[in-house]
Amino acid sequence: MSAGPGGRAEILAKTVGRGTALLERALPGAEVDVLGPLGTSFPEPRADTVDLLVAGGVGLPPMYMQAARAAAAGQIDRSEMIYGGRGAPDLVLLREMQAMGLTLFLTTETGEVGDKGLVTRALEARLRHHQGKQVRVMGCGPNGMLWAIARMARDLKVPCFISLEEQMACGIGVCLGCAIPARSRPYRYVCSNGPVFDAADVLDVKEAPPAAPAACPA
Amino acid sequence: MTRVNLAIETGGLAFRNPVLTASGTFGYGKEFEGLTDLRSLGGLVTKGISPKPRFGNATPRICETAAGMLNSIGLENVGVEGFEREKLPYLRQCGTRVLVNFFGATFDEYVDCGGRLDRLDGVDALEMNVSCPNIKAGGIEFGTDPRVLRDLVRACREVIKKPLWIKLTPNTSDIVALAKACADGGADGLSIINTITGMAIDARTRKPKIATIFGGLSGPAIKPIALRMVFQVRRAGVPLPISGIGGIQDATDAIEFFLAGASTVQVGTQSFVDPDASGHIVRDLEERLAADGVSDVRELVGALKTG
Repeated sequence: MSAGPGGRAEILAKTVGRGTALLERALPGAEVDVLGPLGTSFPEPRADTVDLLVAGGVGLPPMYMQAARAAAAGQIDRSEMIYGGRGAPDLVLLREMQAMGLTLFLTTETGEVGDKGLVTRALEARLRHHQGKQVRVMGCGPNGMLWAIARMARDLKVPCFISLEEQMACGIGVCLGCAIPARSRPYRYVCSNGPVFDAADVLDVKEAPPAAPAACPA
Repeated sequence: MTRVNLAIETGGLAFRNPVLTASGTFGYGKEFEGLTDLRSLGGLVTKGISPKPRFGNATPRICETAAGMLNSIGLENVGVEGFEREKLPYLRQCGTRVLVNFFGATFDEYVDCGGRLDRLDGVDALEMNVSCPNIKAGGIEFGTDPRVLRDLVRACREVIKKPLWIKLTPNTSDIVALAKACADGGADGLSIINTITGMAIDARTRKPKIATIFGGLSGPAIKPIALRMVFQVRRAGVPLPISGIGGIQDATDAIEFFLAGASTVQVGTQSFVDPDASGHIVRDLEERLAADGVSDVRELVGALKTG
């Protein structure tokens, strides 16, 4: 979801269940109840740093917004987007991003558009290309992709920020359902401490297996 | 239009209206600042407090189910000291009744926790969660054996001067026996019901949907069970007021609980759907009663017509 011009809000959604099906059928003028904005954002674009924005499938919108932020700050030339999907229909807003002046590297698993394969390989190439410069990696997409880019960044000692997804009941730090194991504390919450985390805090953190006495419902 | 009285004195406390928020669904109150007007609520019940902080269960902890959700958060909380230091200063001036939910892993922990919370300024009443496994008794819940429950309530009663409510577990075949045990132990009120034990399976991965396999079911799915239990306890003549909990989404649901015998209600899972759910219910309740010509919400309590 993003704030568009003239007080208009735009919602980009992939229909997967009842809620998104309702959104898809909503007509202009329909009332939509929104709780937000919630949680953390990606760090601000910086003039001295190259940001590699990695988007996997439905993980595009926050990366698109981050690119728009860089464009608004006059720093779109310091951002690159690596964007992957299963096939061509999974890649959206390409024209809009090109219009921003954003450099795009596309990948599809089918090979229909861009390089055949996953975003991780494209990211590796871009990290090599920018070797020696100040670089940050930011990503949103499936968990497998996020952990893969976070490991790659860790191994190269490059800062990495990832936007995680979890089951959430409340969105405001109350139900404690969206817990993820972290280094800084036993658990952090995707809704209120995230969704954007410094990958170093949440990557490869082992959690204690559920102990019998702790398994107290509610 | 009829002027409606929503105020009610029950369970040792005077409330401006009978709509409270349920433990575990309302944090420590402050999280809802700006999302609902706490001063419009009858009261709030905090997240369950234990003597020491707890970090909660492994993940995943929640999942959606038909007309409800399963949770196994593991009673994560800041502990008594953390509660006093970090949470209570806000609650003291939040403008509504503060009921503090508490629990322990052993008999002594319950007594210790209840006694310490009782002495804190800003705590109006205590609600005891007895749905925890009793480690010494092989993990059987404290709240499912009437004799154990009576003794636990009695021991806590000795150290708790403020109103003491007991939140009963529905995971029992005889809710009335448990309610009577609480009355015998000297409780001031009952909260009926806590979540119902359930499980959910992901057919694709062949795994349970939450890490602890079993979790507590809440939401509209459990309302008929909650109404039945409130009514059973009321009909049996257990001499304690009841706070009705279970799938309350709107003012009509609240009225149904009053009719079944509850004198207050607690809104739980619905606060996740709409953080201002309790505020809506208070406003709609007043309108509904006025439209129906009911001048006092107390008229509804136990007013079910059963032929």
